[in-house]
Amino acid sequence: MIKFLHKTLDKYRDHFEPGGKLEKFYTIFEATDTILFSTDEVTKSGPHIKDSIDTKRVMILVVVALLPLYIFGAINVGFQNAIAMGLERTNGENFWFGINQILPIIMITFMTGAVWELLFAVVRKHPVSEGFLVTCALIPLVMPPSIPLWQVSMATTFGIVIGKEIFGGVGMNIFNPALVARAFLFFTYPARISGDKVWVAGPDGYSGATALAVPAAEVGQNAQSLLEGVTQFDYSWWNMFMGWIPGSIGETNKILIILGALFLVITKIANWRVMVGSLLGLVGMATITNLLAPFSTNTMLSLPAHYHLVMGGFLFGMAFMATEPVTGCHTNQGRWVYGILFGMLTVIVRSINPAYPEGTMLAILLLNAFAPLIDWFVVQGNIKRRMARYAQ
Amino acid sequence: MADLYIKRGHNIQIAGTPVKEVVKAKTPSSVAILPTDFRGVKPKLLVKEGDTVKIGSPLFHCKSNPSITWPSPGGGTVKSIQYGPRRVIEKIEIELSDSEESESYPSFRFNEISGLNRVEILDALQKGNLFPFIRQRPFNKVADPNTTPRDIFISGWNTAPLSVDLDLALRRRLSPFQAGINALQKLTDGDVHLSYNENSVSDTLLEVEHVKKHSLQGPHPAGNVGIQIHHVAPLGLTDLVWTVNAQDVVRIGNFLLTGKLDTTLFATVGGPSVTSPTHVKTRMGVQMSTLTEERLSEGNHRIISGDVLTGKTTDQNGFLGFYHSTVSVLPEGGDREFMGMLRPGSSKTRYSLTNAFLGFAKDKFNFTTLNNGSERYMVPINAWEDVLPMDILPNALYRAILAQDIEEMEQLGIMECDEEDFALCSFACPSKIDVGGTIRDGLDLMEKEG
Repeated sequence: MIKFLHKTLDKYRDHFEPGGKLEKFYTIFEATDTILFSTDEVTKSGPHIKDSIDTKRVMILVVVALLPLYIFGAINVGFQNAIAMGLERTNGENFWFGINQILPIIMITFMTGAVWELLFAVVRKHPVSEGFLVTCALIPLVMPPSIPLWQVSMATTFGIVIGKEIFGGVGMNIFNPALVARAFLFFTYPARISGDKVWVAGPDGYSGATALAVPAAEVGQNAQSLLEGVTQFDYSWWNMFMGWIPGSIGETNKILIILGALFLVITKIANWRVMVGSLLGLVGMATITNLLAPFSTNTMLSLPAHYHLVMGGFLFGMAFMATEPVTGCHTNQGRWVYGILFGMLTVIVRSINPAYPEGTMLAILLLNAFAPLIDWFVVQGNIKRRMARYAQ
Repeated sequence: MADLYIKRGHNIQIAGTPVKEVVKAKTPSSVAILPTDFRGVKPKLLVKEGDTVKIGSPLFHCKSNPSITWPSPGGGTVKSIQYGPRRVIEKIEIELSDSEESESYPSFRFNEISGLNRVEILDALQKGNLFPFIRQRPFNKVADPNTTPRDIFISGWNTAPLSVDLDLALRRRLSPFQAGINALQKLTDGDVHLSYNENSVSDTLLEVEHVKKHSLQGPHPAGNVGIQIHHVAPLGLTDLVWTVNAQDVVRIGNFLLTGKLDTTLFATVGGPSVTSPTHVKTRMGVQMSTLTEERLSEGNHRIISGDVLTGKTTDQNGFLGFYHSTVSVLPEGGDREFMGMLRPGSSKTRYSLTNAFLGFAKDKFNFTTLNNGSERYMVPINAWEDVLPMDILPNALYRAILAQDIEEMEQLGIMECDEEDFALCSFACPSKIDVGGTIRDGLDLMEKEG
């Protein structure tokens, strides 16, 4: 079977190479060929040997880290549905219900993503970038389970084309394409991705506010006791940590997210500085807002740091989106600043602007825009240090 | 306690490490000098095919600077002068005669050398055609005798994969080494810096005098002279330093003591394709086959003059480069692996500075020339920064070079860089970007514009 594949690919190789009939589609052939079989390209000059890591491996490992979130996401979608419908179901049945709900979202994302990526690869003659796998794997995880498929397709298109391809593809983009996709839906079709009617795949009109929306909707109360007072869902800290709550498909289970984050840090694919910085920023800023809480009627200000951590998409964004190497800072000092600011901004957006109780997405997009500026300061610092040395 | 700890970098665990004993290499029938080894030098020939030359006779000089002449690495007849594209002289091959003769130049007694002044030493080295052994930074090219360096740097420690153990190569050579140091001391107003591994047991390195010694510890590229300059006394914008290979210091010393060019070279033959990797005692510019014959396993190999990170591809009939003392041999290419990007990979099949593969036992790895991926746009996962022990932002510098922004390149420290110090960045890059080559392009641009 493998030999047959190998032979078939080799047989048609000529057609795609310069001068062949299908020369235009070489990038597509190359992508298929190198996804199936590792490349046999050899080094041209020094270094004559190379590390085994390549961008394919980098990207595929992120996808691997995301896989458990899909499985839990499916179970939780079923679980929330069962609550809404007043049913008793096993986890297996929950999974079956959930996977039927999210599989179409996944498929439509990958199909749309692949079409645009291949189209641009052929027209712009750039190699098909493995990065689109990660983008397409992320998009369904940040969608509510009830999202209409045509909106998923629109969002993916916007994310890949405007978020990435118009800049020249992976490596050239300034914003995280998956977040661009989500932000597109957020601002164009807010009814299907915000509010309290979309987070549970339940009967029409079934209302279930996310944990973040609970304190955001009230004035002058204590956020923690508000959450504990909710009877429709179990919004205790532990349950939010375990992820049995309404929310975007992939963001709810914090254990799997933390494991995924550790996996990426240990494999050295993601940078720990961004993650540690984010945690510091979030805890620091939450402590400040807690201190300010008695002076304001804003309920969100009283939300403690450890609640911020397990609510909404913060951990998911920290592990898989803020650490994205291309759109983040490119220097180590910059990564610290970037992480800390991300944590702080998340709390600020959540607290000060109750209309957008989920601050993670906006915080990352804003910082994507500022990452080059942060790097600029780091570079200037390096230059100043050197110039001072030259002057001696 | 080492004076300097180099933290970042990596010692590549490549199979075929040369054993620490020296065997005598076969006697070659011809030796050669490859003028393409010298950056920016346009050779003007002083010999033609068929001429008789002695060891140390001048073969060519630099068109733009006739005061630098190159010595013949052997005595015999000029067998061939090979031209490449655009009439670039690629090789001058000398067929050795049985009774090889050496050109004789004035010699000095050991104690006399310290009494010579700068002009006399320069004069002796130039007349003896020895200047090409001295290189300068920035640009890592042959030094100009009309300049005075701030300092002179000598690395007494090779950290590149499979390279010569200088403790072995310098054993019992203190006297010529000291003579060389004494002469170099006269050429600079500053210091002669000698760096070596803190665990070195070399009598020569430990006992030599009149140098500033720095003991070092850390992974490759700690032994690269560029890294040592950066940590000991970084190059300023207008600074100029000279560097000399440790073995060539002995050569300079022996030349002054005897008046003859010492062609002895301690080299290594190593790599996964070499069945008995070892140190060899051979001579400069030797033909590869005398080193590799009867030492290679079956199959298709790439023979490299120099180390696996910075060397040049050659073949059995090729010759050892002027500054090289390592011959590395790797299996060429490899099989295509089905679904390679999804396979967990083991320490037998994958080698990575990341932990993206299973296989934590870092055994000696059988590297091949596989690229392990295709070139992609930059995905900065910090792979470059982790192996570059310099206060330089490689990512920013790389971009400045691509943008040909000369001012920014200079501000970001390109004058302190050389491609060999960035070779590990190219090795580790997940996007398979040739970082070292880009640094070289940047340096070329600086030199042209400056």
